[in-house]
Amino acid sequence: MEEKNPKHKVASEEDTKQPREQKKEQAARAGATVEEPESGEAVSAVEPPATKERRFRQTDLPAHFIERRRHPRISTEQPPPPAPPRLDDYAAIIGQPELDEIRFLARHLRGKTVKMVNSTAVGGGVAEILNRLIPLMNELEIPTRWEVITGGNDFFEVTKGFHNALHGGDYNLTQQIRDIFMAYNDQNRQRMEFTEDLFVIHDPQPAGLVASRTQTRGRWIWRCHIDLSNPHQGVWDFLKPMIEQYDASIFSAPAFTRQLSIPQYLFYPSIDPLSEKNRELPEEYVNKVCDDFGIDRSRPVITQISRFDRLKDPVGVIEAYKLVKKYLDCQLVLAGGGATDDPEGAVVLQEVMDAAGDDPDVIILNLPPWSALEINALQRASTVIVQKSLKEGFGLTVTEGLWKQKPVVAGAVGGIPTQIIHKLTGVLVHSVEGCAYQIRYLLTHPEFAAQMGKNGREHAKENFLITVNLKRWLLLFQILLGMARPNDTI
Amino acid sequence: MVTAPQSPATRSRWARSPFYFNSASHLHRIGRERAANLQELVEALRSCSESSIFQHTFQTLEEHHFIKEGFSNDFSHWAFAACNEVELAERLAAIDIREFTSMATLRERLVHIIENYLQKNPRAALRTAMEPFYLMASDLVVVPTPYVARNLEEFADGLRKVSIHAIYYHFIDARLRLKLNTNDFSVWLEHDMDMAQAADRLNRIDIYTSTLEGVRRSILRIIEAEIARA
Repeated sequence: MEEKNPKHKVASEEDTKQPREQKKEQAARAGATVEEPESGEAVSAVEPPATKERRFRQTDLPAHFIERRRHPRISTEQPPPPAPPRLDDYAAIIGQPELDEIRFLARHLRGKTVKMVNSTAVGGGVAEILNRLIPLMNELEIPTRWEVITGGNDFFEVTKGFHNALHGGDYNLTQQIRDIFMAYNDQNRQRMEFTEDLFVIHDPQPAGLVASRTQTRGRWIWRCHIDLSNPHQGVWDFLKPMIEQYDASIFSAPAFTRQLSIPQYLFYPSIDPLSEKNRELPEEYVNKVCDDFGIDRSRPVITQISRFDRLKDPVGVIEAYKLVKKYLDCQLVLAGGGATDDPEGAVVLQEVMDAAGDDPDVIILNLPPWSALEINALQRASTVIVQKSLKEGFGLTVTEGLWKQKPVVAGAVGGIPTQIIHKLTGVLVHSVEGCAYQIRYLLTHPEFAAQMGKNGREHAKENFLITVNLKRWLLLFQILLGMARPNDTI
Repeated sequence: MVTAPQSPATRSRWARSPFYFNSASHLHRIGRERAANLQELVEALRSCSESSIFQHTFQTLEEHHFIKEGFSNDFSHWAFAACNEVELAERLAAIDIREFTSMATLRERLVHIIENYLQKNPRAALRTAMEPFYLMASDLVVVPTPYVARNLEEFADGLRKVSIHAIYYHFIDARLRLKLNTNDFSVWLEHDMDMAQAADRLNRIDIYTSTLEGVRRSILRIIEAEIARA
């Protein structure tokens, strides 16, 4: 079969562009109308990371595996972004009746205008979601405009502080900080026009825009992507009166919410089954990636994909692997990023390498940010996928594993229990020992593992795909605009 | 899209009135109630909206339609997975939502089962669960589909083509709308096609030991057998 996923592209004009510029172009090609601030969050160019060479003990492994494990072939060039999918492309995945329902729901909203506002056009999960969602809304003839708030460094320092404080960190909320937050929100209110039928404001940074609702007839929605279960009380008390001016709020998990006087809806984060990270791959490409990284496909592969961060417990995964390895021959792949541009990530990577020691079957890959296809291939090549986090947001790597029909062993934290129904769509664990036992069980009971993988894919299809979220948006818009009443026929 | 009329030779008799296939989409609302232990769950069950009871018993069956065994309702699953109360989980799992045509009665049954269990096992009442139970509610919006059936062939055709959400809507959700121990398909077969026996056979399909796709296949088998007999 022809190689469909070339990693190494020929040099072109695109090679010279910085990632931010490329992502902006990607958003534009995707049909998303982005108005970006001149002084938004800075994104630095990412140097291709290098994985340090490790010393391995004597092994029976063929030399080419050892060579690749010492020197994995990691792509150093960012591939060009693929063309965004059209709605019809999803029919093969979700079925024509589902697609018909989406189109039917959208029919009533044709011509209604939507404005989405967040704080950055590049980087981060929200921008990634909007890049995929907005073209689909526009294709459904719901004109959707994406705008980005502007602010100086002082504003983004404040919002970064808010972000950490809302996750439970300490924070000194002074009057000056409140003033900076409000001043930039007011400045953006003056700059923007609010003529649309629906306004979707993402996360706390632009939450103050709701003060403009008195000048509009539209409905206002606050989409919160962060976990508010344990916020800094002062920061929350400051934001809450703004949030309660919205018509509705949306959270990613029931556990992430606060008590509010407005309706709170649940929209799970979603993955795009047609993205580079999740689309089907030719087996030849999966084999090629395994070959590039020295992975032996004739033996079980246990994989954890996550950045090198202690909260993902990569050292705990190695300990679990060692317990498994006493009984079963297998390989462990720890693949992720964050060790090049994050000083703490580099420290964690070193801890991981120390924990792996000279075991050649622990394969550590520090991948650059443009490795979506390689990560996809690694997940598809895995026998068991692990996400042994100690703390987690929603855990989209779990969703990715479920979608690829893999048995997933994951820590029972954050949004993971929403995705994993214990022993039905995956396995929840609370310790290194539990993790090791469950991996052993799955490796020795392939039929059970296969059934769980099958259930997991259906669970992801039913709840965690971008098309499901698109449908949720359409329903919410209809309800807020009074076009549909709950428990009624539209 | 209405299926084109077929030739008289292959067409079974016309229905008195056509069957319109609908589907249902729903949005989850996060409720105010949450429970960290079984005592709190009883209190939450007493005060929550009927929509929450619906969400965690009826609606959850649709959301987990692909699971054939081991899943009945969210309360049972939580008692098992988060509270480790296996006996209670079994008792809750034994609730068959087909016996309920009102949320008030279903609420009473849930509270009764848990209270009974806590009387016998008082220490279980305040034992903190591994994760809290968050009560949700569901806003359901009915979506018409293009499929309409005026005879058995068209009915079978529609059954094959509609989404799984339409099967759920007509076969499970219908019980609450109709306030009867039956479903939309059986009602149509009995009243518009004079096929009471087929309606009854269809109504006895077990939703707890089959996936919703399995339910679709079982319904189709009954209808196809009727077409073959005609």
